[in-house]
Amino acid sequence: MPAEPLARSERPLTGPFWEHVDRRELVRPVCSVCRRSFFVPQVVCGRCQSGDWSYQPSSGRGVVYSHTTVHRPPTPEFSPPYVLAVVDVCEGDWPANGRSGGDTDDYGEDDRDAWSMLTWIVGCEPERVRIGMQVVVRFVPGPNGELLPAFTPAASEDAA
Amino acid sequence: MIPSVRQRGASLQGVAIAGIGVTRQARQIDGTSAAVCLEAAMAALDDAGFPLAEVDGVSARWPGPGGTVFHPGSVDWSGVFGHGFTWVGDTYPQGAPGLLDAASAIVAGQCEAALVFGGRAGETVGSNSGDSKVAAYTRPGNEFVACWGSLTAAQFALVAQVYMHRFAPDRGRLAQIPATIRNAGTVNPDAIMFGRGPYTPADVLASPMVAEPFHLLDLCLASEGAAAMLVTTLERARDCRHAPVVVLGGSCEWRRQQYVNPPRYDDVYRVGASAMGRALGMAGLTASGIDVFELYDINSFEVVRQFETLGLCGEGEGVDYLAEAGIGLDGRHPTNTDGGLLSYSHTGFSGPTMKIVEAVRQIRGSAGVGQVPGAEVVMATGAGSGAEYHNAVVLGPDR
Repeated sequence: MPAEPLARSERPLTGPFWEHVDRRELVRPVCSVCRRSFFVPQVVCGRCQSGDWSYQPSSGRGVVYSHTTVHRPPTPEFSPPYVLAVVDVCEGDWPANGRSGGDTDDYGEDDRDAWSMLTWIVGCEPERVRIGMQVVVRFVPGPNGELLPAFTPAASEDAA
Repeated sequence: MIPSVRQRGASLQGVAIAGIGVTRQARQIDGTSAAVCLEAAMAALDDAGFPLAEVDGVSARWPGPGGTVFHPGSVDWSGVFGHGFTWVGDTYPQGAPGLLDAASAIVAGQCEAALVFGGRAGETVGSNSGDSKVAAYTRPGNEFVACWGSLTAAQFALVAQVYMHRFAPDRGRLAQIPATIRNAGTVNPDAIMFGRGPYTPADVLASPMVAEPFHLLDLCLASEGAAAMLVTTLERARDCRHAPVVVLGGSCEWRRQQYVNPPRYDDVYRVGASAMGRALGMAGLTASGIDVFELYDINSFEVVRQFETLGLCGEGEGVDYLAEAGIGLDGRHPTNTDGGLLSYSHTGFSGPTMKIVEAVRQIRGSAGVGQVPGAEVVMATGAGSGAEYHNAVVLGPDR
């Protein structure tokens, strides 16, 4: 029979990510050899196959690559509508260094310091969310009370 | 036009589908997944008139007790069938990859007749449903996906939204695509949605929003039932009850594990383009030589995307192209002639095989109200952009 799932902070590969989230810190795996950021965490860097990588602090700033408002949740603990998004998180110049617009996932050709994650856009009416919107990380409780790294429009977006 | 044999994959053309089997499909079926799987497998044998004792390969997929998760009491197909095998496949999913794995085993001499089957029953309600109205297999379990309340429809929606943003296709014309496919199911007595509809593009656009840009009628069903095929050598298939359906070509494309990586349009838009191209290349055909398409229609956008990546039109042009070409029985590209995953059935485990089953029926000329007159060469596909893998086979008659 399947074992009880490990608490998220105890998972071998991803536990440290969640431990940082519990401290309201966003981190991402960075390869020590080729310096590439990647996500989701995996045993080795997908570009150079080095297992020598570590979690490094993220800028927590990004750009909405895509978004969808979910009206029918998969399970009752999620309250619709909510905005799912793919956010390109930018570690260098923001947002000029973002990934939006190009095919950047061919390993070896992406020298921009950006990575992507599935997340929520919060603190914003769903109708206002748009592709290209600048966002910053904001930690919010998920349905079971554990913190999650969501994103919210950056201050610069309020003026827009 | 029947193509000449080409180098790569030429040996696949010595393999044929000799039998197909489909159980009743419904939103909920009482019983167990193993029982409906067995029913479909036996139906495929009966269809072929092939003796069970001579089946020496098996590839099955099913959820729940005894299924692909290791449980005590796991179903033992050699025990069920009363004899052992020389080849056991573990293909995920069934459909095109299952057919190609079985065909490869046959070509390599590992078996001579393989049953490929899968399905589900008794899962929509009860312990495996998790008290959700959304089927378990449409709820990705990865820790970076499940925590956000994503579902497979939303993973695809995130891809489609970028397409809508960049190309702003006419929504009415886009809605004509699921309406046309659903209307094929409206007249298919076996379809779960038989007798419902017919549907107009306005009906699609007026249906409840699930995950933008997808309305309910843009999205496939989540249902129960099973499907099976008997795969054997062309030589043996010629002795079976129906004319053989030959594997002219086929290929898979595995980009990433499904529903883990954030789905970015620029990374996944072309998923399947090379698989479909290789399948056509083996068959010695181009996309315009396909008489009927049985495309994996988990949503309306994926139908457009597959036609674009087949090269029949450019990126962003698919909605207008298909509106003009037509995907109905009288169109240039008859597509999903049984009502597809949108209207016939989608069980997750046997949906991919249902595409092969309808392709076989078209080539045999036994597709009933959905028959395309004179259909000879059919493409069947599986999976899609949001799932980050895709596969295709090209099937044709024995010539």
